[in-house]
Amino acid sequence: MEFTLLGSAAIGVASLYAMLRWEATRGNVLECSRDLWDVALTGIVAGVFVGRLAAMIGDGVNPLSNPADILIVRAGVSTGFAALAALATVAWIGRGEAWVVVDGLAAGALAGLAGWHAGCLTREACLGTVTDLPWAMTQNGSTIGRHPVELYAAGLYVLAAIGLALYRKRSLPAIGVSAGVGLAAAGAIRLLTEPLRPSLSSGPLLWYALAMVVGGAVVVWRLRVARAAT
Amino acid sequence: MNHLRHWLAALLIVVPACGGPSVDASAIPELPSVSAGDVATVLEGSEQPVVVNVWASWCVPCRSEAPLLERASEQFDGEVRFVGLNVRDSQDGARSFIAEFFPDAPIEHWFDSAGDIPVELGGSRAVPLTFFYGPGGEMIDLHTGVLDERTLALGIDELLAGG
Repeated sequence: MEFTLLGSAAIGVASLYAMLRWEATRGNVLECSRDLWDVALTGIVAGVFVGRLAAMIGDGVNPLSNPADILIVRAGVSTGFAALAALATVAWIGRGEAWVVVDGLAAGALAGLAGWHAGCLTREACLGTVTDLPWAMTQNGSTIGRHPVELYAAGLYVLAAIGLALYRKRSLPAIGVSAGVGLAAAGAIRLLTEPLRPSLSSGPLLWYALAMVVGGAVVVWRLRVARAAT
Repeated sequence: MNHLRHWLAALLIVVPACGGPSVDASAIPELPSVSAGDVATVLEGSEQPVVVNVWASWCVPCRSEAPLLERASEQFDGEVRFVGLNVRDSQDGARSFIAEFFPDAPIEHWFDSAGDIPVELGGSRAVPLTFFYGPGGEMIDLHTGVLDERTLALGIDELLAGG
């Protein structure tokens, strides 16, 4: 039995926690009455569960006749459905102050994604397509250089998370804008790095593009609402 | 809240009770029994890279990775040879599994009732287990445990790149 995915998940969750703590100490989430850590964890669990179910159904495996397979997360989780379920769960738990909650989680979520991708180092799963670049990494026993694509993604997510946290502190963006920026950044980073990943398909590019578009639309919408209110 | 608990409890009872699907395995022929020598001969004589996946019908993770293998075998048909080595299983169990998960996939399935071949090939008795062989039978990689899409895609990419 392998537990390497669990290692990546632990690094991701630890990164999320660290960013939430950092944001809290900076006073970025004072207006939120809920415990963002609890909300985030519940969202993650719901997202993984729904994403796994969606992946099983997409692969033609009936979750009702093979319920134990739901636990085999390594066999695939549908990123798009997982993200939708996580967002829906977070919004439902935070009802009444949903925008404040998703705003408060945005930078933490990006940090969590950074940790998850950096966790590839614990399971030798950082490698992407072939390259001759000097920082190329090779698989054990191989001589073929490859892009450390998961580390690229992790680096970009770290930059996005820190950038968003600083922006929240310095610019005090309108309510909902942080969530939109976070969603757009998450989609953009996946869209940017996806071509460098070896895959059996073209990957869920449509989902990533959709995240970018929806995130951008949310930013525009929330800015207009804020402008109209002043 | 009590309602929710009752529904959850009912779900926990009903879902496992749904049992396995009934599949018609009559169209699937008996799997040929092979020895380690047979497998080595095939690998050494293959001009294509070969992915050997060790599976069993009683293995839950094998069911989870089966759709990936089916997809990969169809995508790389003609470029990479896919072999399923069924171990420590029954012919009926193996044929039902194939009928359910690989009915039309271009995967050859072999039968190893004792389950010793993976060990003799340099692996272990763990299931699932996936060997990646270059042309001529050189083992390029060995993956223990359930495959994910990236691992399988990377393994095949290494085979095709001549790694």
